[in-house]
Amino acid sequence: MSQDPSTYNGGSAVAMVGKDCVAIASDLRLGQQSLGLSNDFEKIFHYGHVFLGLTGLATDVMSVHEDLRKKTNLYKMKEQREIEPKSFANLISSSLYKRRFGPWFVGPIVAGLNSHSGKPFICGFDYIGCIDFAKDFIVAGTASEQLFGMCESLYEPNLEPEDLFETISQALLNAVDRDALSGWGAVVYVITKDKVVKRFLKTRQD
Amino acid sequence: MAGLTFDNYKRNQYLVNQAGFKPPKATSTGTTIVGCRFKNGVVIAADTRATTGPIVADKNCEKLHQIAPKIWCAGAGTAADTEMVTQLISSNLELHSLYMNREPRVVSAMQMLKQHLFRYQGYVGAYLIVAGVDPTGPHLFSVQAHGSTDVGYYMSLGSGSLAAIAVLERDWREEMTKKEAMDLCATAIQAGIFNDLGSGSNVDMCVMETGKDAQLYRNYLTPNVREQKQRNYKFARGTTAVLKKDVFDLVDVVREDEVPVGPSDAMETD
Amino acid sequence: MDAAIGIRVNDGVIVATSRACTRSITILKPDDDKTRILNEHNILAYTGTSGDTTQFADYIQGNMQLYSMREGVDLNSKGIASYIRHELATSLRSRSPYQVNILLAGLDKGDAPFLSNIDYMGTRVDLPYAAHGYAAFYVMSLFDRHYRPDMTLKDGMKLLKMCKAELDERFPVVFKGFQVKVVDKEGIHSSELE
Repeated sequence: MSQDPSTYNGGSAVAMVGKDCVAIASDLRLGQQSLGLSNDFEKIFHYGHVFLGLTGLATDVMSVHEDLRKKTNLYKMKEQREIEPKSFANLISSSLYKRRFGPWFVGPIVAGLNSHSGKPFICGFDYIGCIDFAKDFIVAGTASEQLFGMCESLYEPNLEPEDLFETISQALLNAVDRDALSGWGAVVYVITKDKVVKRFLKTRQD
Repeated sequence: MAGLTFDNYKRNQYLVNQAGFKPPKATSTGTTIVGCRFKNGVVIAADTRATTGPIVADKNCEKLHQIAPKIWCAGAGTAADTEMVTQLISSNLELHSLYMNREPRVVSAMQMLKQHLFRYQGYVGAYLIVAGVDPTGPHLFSVQAHGSTDVGYYMSLGSGSLAAIAVLERDWREEMTKKEAMDLCATAIQAGIFNDLGSGSNVDMCVMETGKDAQLYRNYLTPNVREQKQRNYKFARGTTAVLKKDVFDLVDVVREDEVPVGPSDAMETD
Repeated sequence: MDAAIGIRVNDGVIVATSRACTRSITILKPDDDKTRILNEHNILAYTGTSGDTTQFADYIQGNMQLYSMREGVDLNSKGIASYIRHELATSLRSRSPYQVNILLAGLDKGDAPFLSNIDYMGTRVDLPYAAHGYAAFYVMSLFDRHYRPDMTLKDGMKLLKMCKAELDERFPVVFKGFQVKVVDKEGIHSSELE
């Protein structure tokens, strides 16, 4: 029964940058190896206007989310403002690296717009907090290899929100269809300056 | 390191040893990094590929880290460790130089790094080339994860170090000019980029010369530019079937006015 | 090899646990009760390593009773689920983690039917139906096919009977039938499957 904590529950997430907008999406499956347990396990969370995708071992996904919620709430009380994407990325990085020798088994991705400049920001992390700053897209989870392939071919810069939605959705959908541990529904957030649109996608159920 | 917690260590030992889990893979900078001294300074360079196993995680990452304004370091090994160890020593060195009221020295950075890394017995997997200029002149050191250090006129580290050192051994001469040193480093990194699977993409470089500000050349060479896409895969709007849609308005529209636009109306600028 | 099944229906929640208490190849007890009553509207059902299971269940039960005495109100189902998850997630980081899987059934705030599935690592999912153990592989497909959101307790019991029939037919291990408990507006009752 050799298994990897980062593939025990399954699940994937992806984020993309568009023109004055960002999008972040995840599947909805939660399983125990081959047995599917839930089809409404959302892996996208938000802290103020910053969005976070958390893949990996589900118990750690929950624990890390709870920990970050606590930390961002304290940040908000001290600073009297919401945390910005770049600060949030560094918060995650130091939180994960603090556990360098007893890590959380998670693969986080961050997406958001800077509330002052409106500048899109995305980044990803390994499980010990090394930040991957990307200009275009970030992938995570059990279908990350498939997502790399999809994004590398489908992605183009400066997409309008409506087109970015189609691109990220198709990238996710077709990636998770090639992963037995991901799928069972999907959720997509498209984030612009004045609104956030959350869409649940129609997906295969096998 | 101050503040590292080992809370999950026992749990993960349990997960790996009792529950049969496999430990996951961290991002590593599979890397070619080099450094070379010249007449009046020192130059370091790195490739820009980050890998997780056989997957290229980042095609244009930054492996050149600033420790002090005129002390820079190139990192190989576990990406998170090179980044965090460098940030830690950077802030401690800043405090040190403020306390001493002197410009920070490269030997201090090296000493702090090796003492930290030795304490962690190689488990903090950072392999660094530390370089810079200080009041005692230009310096070039390498630091290994276990805590040993070397001094040299030229050096290379990382999985591409073999390819790079071959170039350095072949072309290095005493008393090189800045231009010659930069060319040599660029060629050595390119040897890694093209001959080592763990290295790739672009060349980053940093030149530190006595009496001058350090110069970072981000993407000094870009020998692997992606071909312009011949065709695009833009999907027609409405392709993806949506089950449910929620809109979260971040701004409340309190009042909506038609604003007449014409040459007679001056623009409101407050 | 023990099993725990939970079904959330319109007017309550049903939990069923296998009656056999097994060690190695021997059934030690044919009428084991793998549930604990936490308060007026919440039941805990568990599977896992014997010893750990009862210790952990007693610990949770004790703390819930303490909560009710201190606060003068019962902790609601969501609160209990959150508390149990936290205990298991913390326990996982200790020298000897509790090997216990949990089904929490109740009426949230004495009103909304609630079923939560929490495994020994602290993975929590709130579901309409859930199962622990190998039995899950057999009954989940039945639930997927026959569960309807508008079912009543009566329909739920029918569905549970189908589960038992399926397990009797296909599952190679004797588990001595199910011990069934129901939570509804009136509180918690034991029930019989025929």
